[in-house]
Amino acid sequence: MPESSPSIARRQAEERRRMQEGTILSFTTLAHPPEHFGAGHRSIALIKLADGSKVMAPLTGSKPAIGMMVIPRMRLSYVAKDHLRIYEVAYEIPATKTAPVSEETIAFPGYILALTGPSGVGKTTIARMLVSMFSTSSRNVPILTTRTKKKGDDGEYVYMTKKEFDRLQRAGEIIAATNIPSRSEDRWYGYRASDIKAIWNAGLLPIVITEMHLLQGLGEHFGRRSILSFGLLPPGKSKRAMLSSLLHRLRGRGRETEENIQDRLKNAELDLAFFKERRDLFDHLIVNEDLDVVASLFRETVPALGKA
Amino acid sequence: MEKPLFLIGSSQTRFGEHWDKSLRDLAREVVDGAIEHSPATALDIDMVIVANMIGEVASDQAHMGAMVASFLPHKPPAIRVEAACASGSVAIHTACALLESNRAQTILVIGAEKMTDATNDQIASALMGAADSEQDRPAGLTFPGIFGLVAQRYMHDYGLTRDQLSLVSAVHHRQALENPFAQFRMEVKPEAVSKSSPIADPLRLLDCSPISDGAAACILSTKYQSNFRVAASQLTTDTLSLADRPSLTSFSASKKAMEKALAEAAIDRDEISHVETHDCFSIAAVINMEDLGFANEGDGISIYRELYERPTMMGLQVNKSGGLKACGHPVAATGIKQFIDIAKQLKAAGTRYGLSHNFGGAGATCGLHILEHLQ
Repeated sequence: MPESSPSIARRQAEERRRMQEGTILSFTTLAHPPEHFGAGHRSIALIKLADGSKVMAPLTGSKPAIGMMVIPRMRLSYVAKDHLRIYEVAYEIPATKTAPVSEETIAFPGYILALTGPSGVGKTTIARMLVSMFSTSSRNVPILTTRTKKKGDDGEYVYMTKKEFDRLQRAGEIIAATNIPSRSEDRWYGYRASDIKAIWNAGLLPIVITEMHLLQGLGEHFGRRSILSFGLLPPGKSKRAMLSSLLHRLRGRGRETEENIQDRLKNAELDLAFFKERRDLFDHLIVNEDLDVVASLFRETVPALGKA
Repeated sequence: MEKPLFLIGSSQTRFGEHWDKSLRDLAREVVDGAIEHSPATALDIDMVIVANMIGEVASDQAHMGAMVASFLPHKPPAIRVEAACASGSVAIHTACALLESNRAQTILVIGAEKMTDATNDQIASALMGAADSEQDRPAGLTFPGIFGLVAQRYMHDYGLTRDQLSLVSAVHHRQALENPFAQFRMEVKPEAVSKSSPIADPLRLLDCSPISDGAAACILSTKYQSNFRVAASQLTTDTLSLADRPSLTSFSASKKAMEKALAEAAIDRDEISHVETHDCFSIAAVINMEDLGFANEGDGISIYRELYERPTMMGLQVNKSGGLKACGHPVAATGIKQFIDIAKQLKAAGTRYGLSHNFGGAGATCGLHILEHLQ
């Protein structure tokens, strides 16, 4: 395949033209895509774009069907032999359920800000900072949990029994739930749709401090595009350095047993891998090294917050 | 046809993995064989047409016209033609045109492909040359992927099931049992096709024609006569990419070629007793039956259901050679193999008309020939 810089430049110009919504005409999943796309499966679709043209393009998301609407997303396709980074437009299958319809009184209709990261990375600190920075325009979404109340919890949790949690889940009120493995107890966490809707109705931006399964659940319920998703990484150049910085912070909190800390580290390792595997679930990955830098990044990325 | 034009000799290698033979060895074997089985001598050949698709990639060999001409003592003029999987039928069509124009009186047509010297990735990439390099390839498509798109849409539109589709390869494998030149002479049950490993959803491994080495040659002449007259030779084309076509579930090049060929041969479709059709993937065989007019739209599978359940009752025989799936598919040799196999089948059955239908890419080039068996 011609991999010269001019040929790549021509192709990238074509990719920009493809940034349009479209409809799936047909699709397939290749078990053995061409070498440079890597070893995994690759879904490809023939898509009819809004301007009437048809394109062959990669497809992301689950359960495609002929006739389904898809949304374009520019993403890194592969790195060529001479280290050129090749971008491509992939088409995403939106979640079947969509966010509530907007009303004029709602400032952030169907829009959620999510912070995802491993334990100890500083999610709670950042969320507090956000709420204090933008107290008039945002509110944290409470997390339902079956775990016992702990020293250091700061009103972010709604505690309930497993039975009550199950009941809400069956009733469809909990829209995202996860079980976080722990040696000491059966810990469930989740979000209630009513909590998020109440924040929207108050004209505020819901902020969720979350982890990977809950983020996926929210994406499936409200649609990936309703979430401005930040992934928080601990400082450190390697995985080992990141984990060691987490360990340091978790011990520094002084509110958990060593056994719990080890559990959290194990989960953190999975979280770090998740950032790589599901890069599509994150709009920005931030290294939480300096709170001021993080704060200014939020101001830039969420201009509506600054204005509100 | 402008004048009577005869198939006077032919030869083919067994299709399969020939680790002991190079592209040149395979070509030489069928050149010698075709001359030996024809009334003409080597010196009667006044032109050579060579069909080949991936010689440059798999054997570092371009310029194959001269390569084959140099096998003959008088080194006649030679050209190479390339139209992906349709290269073989395009070579025959080119020969017909040259014979009809009196440019030559006896032409050697040969198709040869050596595929097993290269890695699977190299071959997959070379075969993608048959698709659109700017529209299809950058998405990461492979040929199984292109036909996966076709199959997905066909199943959606016409309700064809996975298990029904599996009948196609089962029929081809059973028929290959009788063909000594076939790559896979073994029976394959439809259940095995449905359960084989996924390649390009909904297509599975046993829906796909294999990578093969092989060559086939024939000699066409206006000077010498035989019992096999070329009654029609047609060539049609369509867009390279499926993205530029109005339909995913029909190949218009096949339809056009069939219409023109029947008119040229001045026969009705039902006078045809034997068909070799281009089943690069099982779904293609189903669609071809419809495009060639042997089945109604959306009902191509009915032919294969009949062939599977009541093979002896069928008036129409399809892919007796085992097709591309079971006989093998050394790309450019396929069109010529289909053509000479039709002659063998007509001779064995004692029937009059047979059709070879060969296409390139996803039906972007279609070469179609009707042979008449004069009794």
